[in-house]
Amino acid sequence: MVLEATLICIDNSEWMRNGDYAPSRFQAQTEAANLICGAKTQLNPENTVGVMTMAGKGVRVLVTPTSDLGKILACMHGLEIGGELNLAAGIQVAQLALKHRQNKKQQQRIIVFVGSPIKHEKKVLEMIGRKLKKNSVALDIVNFGEDDEGNTEKLEALLAAVNNNDSSHLVHVPPGPNALSDVLLSTPIFTGDGEGGSGFAAAAAAAAASGASGYEFGVDPNLDPELALALRVSMEEERARQEAAAKRAAEEAAKKEKQGEQQSSSQDVTMTDQDSVPASEADDKKKTTKHDEGLLQEAIAMSSTPSYPSGRDTNMSEVAEDDPELALALQLSMQDGTKDAPSHSDMSQLLADQAFVSSILASLPGVDPEDPSVKDVLTSMQNQSEKKDEDKASKEEEEK
Amino acid sequence: MSAESTTAINRSIVDLLDFIDWSGVECLNHNTAHSLPNAIKQGYREDEGLYLESDADEQLLIYLPFTQVVKLHSIVVKGPEEEGCLIGPKTVKLFSNREHMGFSNVNDFPPSDTAVLTPDNLKGKPVVLKFVKFQNVRSLTIFIEDNQSGSEVTKVDKIALFGTTVETTDMKGLKKIEDNH
Repeated sequence: MVLEATLICIDNSEWMRNGDYAPSRFQAQTEAANLICGAKTQLNPENTVGVMTMAGKGVRVLVTPTSDLGKILACMHGLEIGGELNLAAGIQVAQLALKHRQNKKQQQRIIVFVGSPIKHEKKVLEMIGRKLKKNSVALDIVNFGEDDEGNTEKLEALLAAVNNNDSSHLVHVPPGPNALSDVLLSTPIFTGDGEGGSGFAAAAAAAAASGASGYEFGVDPNLDPELALALRVSMEEERARQEAAAKRAAEEAAKKEKQGEQQSSSQDVTMTDQDSVPASEADDKKKTTKHDEGLLQEAIAMSSTPSYPSGRDTNMSEVAEDDPELALALQLSMQDGTKDAPSHSDMSQLLADQAFVSSILASLPGVDPEDPSVKDVLTSMQNQSEKKDEDKASKEEEEK
Repeated sequence: MSAESTTAINRSIVDLLDFIDWSGVECLNHNTAHSLPNAIKQGYREDEGLYLESDADEQLLIYLPFTQVVKLHSIVVKGPEEEGCLIGPKTVKLFSNREHMGFSNVNDFPPSDTAVLTPDNLKGKPVVLKFVKFQNVRSLTIFIEDNQSGSEVTKVDKIALFGTTVETTDMKGLKKIEDNH
């Protein structure tokens, strides 16, 4: 919640009569300015916003920075179009107005709308930009209307001179069907510097978003921000995990070809049991985002990263309550992972140690060590560990 | 007389670092990567690698409010050792008790004192100020006007202020007295 004093500079030159932005450039601009006022005051109740015009009879400050939204909206009403844009004078007057703000603790920001040709030289603008930077004033520029390169170049030079740590922005809005205000909603001018958007901007953006009922995860961020955040975070984590898994899967693809039957048979087991996972799992987030392939890759990732099993074991063991076969499958997949990485030899030896394994199984809820199926597992595991040793020996031979 | 006794009571000259009110400290035209605490805070300022650097041009404006009224005796401004101290500050103007100055109004009123630093000063030799002008200082504004070589960027390694405190109440230190009788 940055405390800010903002001054909005409106371009009310003759060029604003143009209708390339519906209904006219001037009206689109006024709407956008009104939206900005609302957003800024909502972000922090102590924020102040002021308005001034840069063309017309001359540069004029209509409202000095105030937090009274009504006053600001009222003064936007009787504005007249005419004259030529005087950008340099406009920015300098804005800077002066901000300097005399009442609350000195507020950060200074100027938002400029440019919709007509700039008559000043690039150098003049750069000097102004440097002066703004020196006095720690941030500048946001909305470039619309004029498509000619001259304007863009000058404004980019101005931004480069002012920009301190990315606090200033330049937004180009080309003419088109989208309203000026809608385009601005998604820009950093509304969303602030990396704050991720105020509730106002997020809601407005969601409402304006094309067609679809558009809330991610079916949860309105305004109604339940914590849930929306939690879902979003888990989604991102999941994606990151899947990317890592995909990488490892690609690496292991080559290795797996060597393994042959064993691998595929154990994978069959894992796959069939993972099909039952979505059904048995009560966890919502996994349901919505996973499909079988993703699960498989996750299992592979789990099996190949040493730290992974320890983190995820608790989750899986809860699930394994219902499904002792699942527990079996998990252990098999864990073991497969240990085959691939020689550093896991300790783990495999532990698993081969029957006493240790049976104690683990006993600790798993819902798994009865006396169960015949479990005993089968143990014997098969022992066989597999023997085969694994053979594999290792053959591998070493190959390497030689 | 009473004057003598007050001077006898008066504390000796100390580093005023402890009396700086950090919540109100401001610095204009500094490079965000090299900011004011690098030059003032204990520990930071002794480190050669940490310094205060100017951004758009060579001037710097530093505003330091104090938690209580102080008398300022002298100031040490250290510049970077390399390049023969060429980019350390040269002309330093001090304004006492002027709040929220900007670059545009530094020239509007005369400074309480001006110090032109020599390379000796930049190595750590303190500059003694006009004590009479700094008897009642609540806040200090340091305006670094230019540097030794006229380069685009000014670097300051350390700024230390020395003086004495005046017997004012530090409101934060006030504690409620238990009324037992």
